[in-house]
Amino acid sequence: MKSFDVAKTALGNTLRSKLRTFLTVIAIVIGAFALTLTFGMGAGINKYVDHVVEGFGQEDEMYVMGSQEAAQEQGADDEGPSEYDADGDSGEMTMMGTSTLDDDDIDAVRDIDGVESVQAIVMIDVDYLEGADGEQWTVNRMGESVDARALEMVAGDPPAQDAMELAVPEAWVSALGGDSPSDVVGDTVQLGFTNLAQEEETVEATISGVSEPSVSQTGQVPTPSRELSEQINEAAMSGLPEEQPSTYIYAVAQVDDMEADETSIKEQLTDDGLTGMTLEDQLGMIQGIINTVTWVLGGFAIIALVAASFGIVNTLLMSVQERTREIGLMKALGMSRGKVFGLFSMEAIVIGLMGSLIGVGAGVGAGVIGNALLVNGPLENVVGLVLFAVDPISIVLITVLVVGIAFLAGTLPAARAAKKDPIDALRYE
Amino acid sequence: MSTPVLETENLVKVYGSGESRFDALKGLTFEIHDGESLAIVGKSGSGKSTLMHLLALLDAPTAGVVALHGRPVSQLKTKEVSRLRNETFGFVFQQFFLNAHQSVLENVTLPLKISGWSKADRERRGLEVLTQLEMDDKAENKAKDLSGGQKQRVCIARALVNSPAVIFADEPTGNLDSATSEIVEDILFGLHRDHGITLVVVTHDDDLAARCSRRLIMQDGMIVSEEHGVLVDHHVDSTLGTETDTDDDTFDPSQLGLEDQDEIDGADQAEQSEGGRA
Ligand SMILES: Nc1ncnc2c1ncn2[C@@H]1O[C@H](COP(=O)(O)OP(=O)(O)OP(=O)(O)O)[C@@H](O)[C@H]1O
Ligand SMILES: [Mg+2]
Repeated sequence: MKSFDVAKTALGNTLRSKLRTFLTVIAIVIGAFALTLTFGMGAGINKYVDHVVEGFGQEDEMYVMGSQEAAQEQGADDEGPSEYDADGDSGEMTMMGTSTLDDDDIDAVRDIDGVESVQAIVMIDVDYLEGADGEQWTVNRMGESVDARALEMVAGDPPAQDAMELAVPEAWVSALGGDSPSDVVGDTVQLGFTNLAQEEETVEATISGVSEPSVSQTGQVPTPSRELSEQINEAAMSGLPEEQPSTYIYAVAQVDDMEADETSIKEQLTDDGLTGMTLEDQLGMIQGIINTVTWVLGGFAIIALVAASFGIVNTLLMSVQERTREIGLMKALGMSRGKVFGLFSMEAIVIGLMGSLIGVGAGVGAGVIGNALLVNGPLENVVGLVLFAVDPISIVLITVLVVGIAFLAGTLPAARAAKKDPIDALRYE
Repeated sequence: MSTPVLETENLVKVYGSGESRFDALKGLTFEIHDGESLAIVGKSGSGKSTLMHLLALLDAPTAGVVALHGRPVSQLKTKEVSRLRNETFGFVFQQFFLNAHQSVLENVTLPLKISGWSKADRERRGLEVLTQLEMDDKAENKAKDLSGGQKQRVCIARALVNSPAVIFADEPTGNLDSATSEIVEDILFGLHRDHGITLVVVTHDDDLAARCSRRLIMQDGMIVSEEHGVLVDHHVDSTLGTETDTDDDTFDPSQLGLEDQDEIDGADQAEQSEGGRA
């Protein structure tokens, strides 16, 4: 018997008792549907996270922070206070669970092999921004100069790191007296802030371009260049007779060859009491959680599929029983055991294929429609949100998995059928 | 005579064991020659079907040898046995064994499908055989919608479709009335005569047995007598059991030829009229 005929006969046989096949297929559809939806959501949310984190930095950058242990030690009181040490790092503040960095730390990072340059990130607090027409606008928050590279611009360019430049958000254009974003590019603005002696200081800067909000939440506030933020920081720390030690919230190290040097740099950072994180580490943490949730949900879907596979076993066993004579006849007419086995396995595969095609199709449909409804409806405000993504590879894998489970379920009935003795079958009433 | 197509030596078939042990065949030795028509007759339960199944390689004997063209079949691989059943043998079973939901053509071409023929070739050959049996107008009908005689003709068509060398028929007329039986018999003997197909027929039907060139009469798993030659008067007493001398049979080849010819012509008419009714 040709394989094509085996497949066609199998299809014909499954369509013979339509209701039974339909009920068996339904069970598989449910499993395949759940699996598709779960992994589609996993893929969608991962994609969103990917997109968000992409805006945070570049692959050749390593984020250096104070070690979390140090911060925890400082924060925790259950072991009692630690002894005061005048030479120690007691002046460190903690910030968002990690301790801040000082100049020594930055120098230490700069000395690590493989680190090309280090950019220390300071927290700058600007009170107002004064446009060309002299009007002043409150600045609630300034962006960070490291984000400058990844800004999405509507007009002009991102601020050049070594020039006194900044990018303003699109929403600020009309306040600054421009009709369209390009009107304000090249304008000179004043940034006002107070120094440690509570004296007013201003710094002049040029608008290099207009940014739009990105998925990673950058571009919504004025973003200074490195030079500008350093100047502001320097002026802001002035005013007291003694020079204040600078503190940095974190530093960004440029690494030439991240793949080769990542581990050694991280080790040295740990020795220096610091932590290093690559973009991948940051992504990994979030995606690890998403993947875990996806797999747990996927696990339930697979349990549903395993339950459905017993439906296949049952259906096919009944079918083998009912068709004892037919099988006997085929064997009597010279069909080999292997082909009989193949025919019944094929029926299982046909059932699995029907179930997975319908289930995966419905899952993709439900996911795409649900995503559209949610993202354009209640979750409209979340820029770039993706809840469901169609990942062709996982769709193929799910189909293969479902068909594989169906095939396994079919082996028992198929072996039964193959074992039937033509004589017994022909005597069977 | 030529070398036998099939021969058996001391063929024994035992069903069950211990208390329920039943000796269905108790050591049979005989030969079937190429182009022969052999009837196996005997009472119900005498082991006719059992013997046919062994000859047709559908079952394996408990002891003894079945040889095909002088070669013991126990030496053959399963695959070869399957091939032989598919290509060398044709079967007409006691019950019809048609797939009710399939068309006549599909039923007839099942052996070819198993054999791996292409769909187009299968249909061409299937129609050819159906035409031969004057069933071509029913090719697309569902098998369940046929009359008993038509079903039996479909079974014969299926047995024929792969151009077998031997046709085994177990009670081919068992389910049919005498008129339809006659038609089916005519078809079988027509094939036997025109295509030289060897016929092995298991039957209760005296008329059918009488038309065969040889009869093996069985009783309790043994061959109790053997008769040669076509019987003109169509009367065989299968319970006789004493007629072991085969030499004094009233066998006349010339008479056989004439007799056969008449029979077939009559059959053709009967068949046509039956076809007209359908
Ligand atoms: N699988 C089996 N197990 C036990 N006994 C069996 C089996 N198959 C057949 N027999 C017995 O073997 C004997 C011969 O059976 P077989 O079918 O060959 O008879 P038969 O001559 O064809 O009869 P009939 O004319 O009624 O078809 C019977 O007594 C039957 O009960
Ligand atoms: Mg029988």
